[in-house]
Amino acid sequence: MTKKLLMIDDDPDFVEGIRSILTSADFEVDVAYNPKDGLHALQTKPYDLLLLDIMMGRGAEGIMIARKLRKDVKLRELPVLIITGMREQIAFLFPGEPVHPRFVEIDELVEKPVEPKLLLEKVNGLIQAAEAKKAGK
Amino acid sequence: MENQTKILIIDDEEVVLDSCTQILKGSGHLIVTAADGTKGLLLLQEFHPDLVFVDLKMPGISGFEVLEKIHELDSTIVTVVITGFATVSSAVDAMKKGAYDFLPKPFTPDEFRLITRRSLERRRLVLEAISLRREKELLREQFASIVSHELKAPLGAVQQNLFALEFELLNVLNESQKEKVARLKTRIDEMLKMINSWLRVISVDINKLKESFTQIDITLPIRNALESNGQLATRKGITVETEFIPELPKVNGDALSLTEVFVNIIGNAIKYSPNRSNIHVKTERQADKILVSVKDNGVGISQQDLPHIFEGFYRGQSGISEAGHGIGLAVSRQIVDAHDGSITVNSEQGKGTTFVIILPVANMLMAN
Repeated sequence: MTKKLLMIDDDPDFVEGIRSILTSADFEVDVAYNPKDGLHALQTKPYDLLLLDIMMGRGAEGIMIARKLRKDVKLRELPVLIITGMREQIAFLFPGEPVHPRFVEIDELVEKPVEPKLLLEKVNGLIQAAEAKKAGK
Repeated sequence: MENQTKILIIDDEEVVLDSCTQILKGSGHLIVTAADGTKGLLLLQEFHPDLVFVDLKMPGISGFEVLEKIHELDSTIVTVVITGFATVSSAVDAMKKGAYDFLPKPFTPDEFRLITRRSLERRRLVLEAISLRREKELLREQFASIVSHELKAPLGAVQQNLFALEFELLNVLNESQKEKVARLKTRIDEMLKMINSWLRVISVDINKLKESFTQIDITLPIRNALESNGQLATRKGITVETEFIPELPKVNGDALSLTEVFVNIIGNAIKYSPNRSNIHVKTERQADKILVSVKDNGVGISQQDLPHIFEGFYRGQSGISEAGHGIGLAVSRQIVDAHDGSITVNSEQGKGTTFVIILPVANMLMAN
């Protein structure tokens, strides 16, 4: 079955560069260009994975989404691939925490731009991890 | 009247207080007086003076103590001591404690006016310097965000689309076309790395680096740097040999900025080495110090360039044009300095270069 992904990122050109790789690899990709539309999509449609940008709009608005996900009993299970412009910014936003903060139970972090091979590896890996977890319950 | 300058005079002699107030009358300054140190310090809190005159010899707490308290409270307040017996030594002591000048009794109205004017000028300069520093800080932060958004984001989007294009055309492109795509990718990648490095330089306040220090294994940032430079080394067919001694004691440091140091040093070694040569990266322990050396068999650095390589935006006169941005080594040195370490270089033109980074072992540092 085709896996459905949601990408939240405010840079349409960047989004296209990611989306076309994923669609060539037979994923179905929805896109939201701002956190508000992104949250709405997450609440109304089922997805297998979320691709999340951190620095959007006036700052780290992606963090806001991550926080909401963490609080939501259902969305908490959704695997997340964080795609960010700068790893250091993450460390800066979570002072004292390791560079890779655990936003939700299953997540990974990659830096922009992402090589196709790495992107597909991470996406497949996260989806598999989430499925294995579900099966184990 | 927010801009009116405020002067506080602390002296136990009423006649001094009166005459000083008289002399400055009509000059537009707001003047408040106190008959002893305790009262003076109390006034200080609510009055926020620009300038304080303090008599050194007073009953109760001494003028020296008052000086100290003032500077503790606000080091931008300019202080001038009034010395009854114009003993040079007590005036010198006071100035060592931070007083800007001294006024020997008895003094003429003109002397008092002059020293007041000079002291207020000093205060203005002190405040100006502070606001300029703040402005510079703000500019730096803004610049960082501009660089990040206006340069990095578009370039990242370009690269991402190039990745996508190459991925989709995998079975369509011929060899020569693939090479062109590879060249595009490489140049954009180098540009992104350069922007990242600038961004780190601008956004990392080296003075504040110490606040984020943790005990780290030095081989970790070295390994990260090797990974980051891996592509460049592969492209030039360069072999990087590593020799890490096991169970090296930890160092107190910031892993991210140390990674930046090794990325720079190892990156340079690769850049300035001929194709298919070797680079040697080694860790050593010497008493309470850890040595990391990076040795290449590259072009070397001329004796003429050697003293300047740690200065910003210096790229060498050797006429060898290689990609570089001239700030890597300067920043590396600043980062190593912030770690209480040192960085040295040995080089012979045509033979190669060795950089040695020395960092103190963590527990030794804490014992101090």
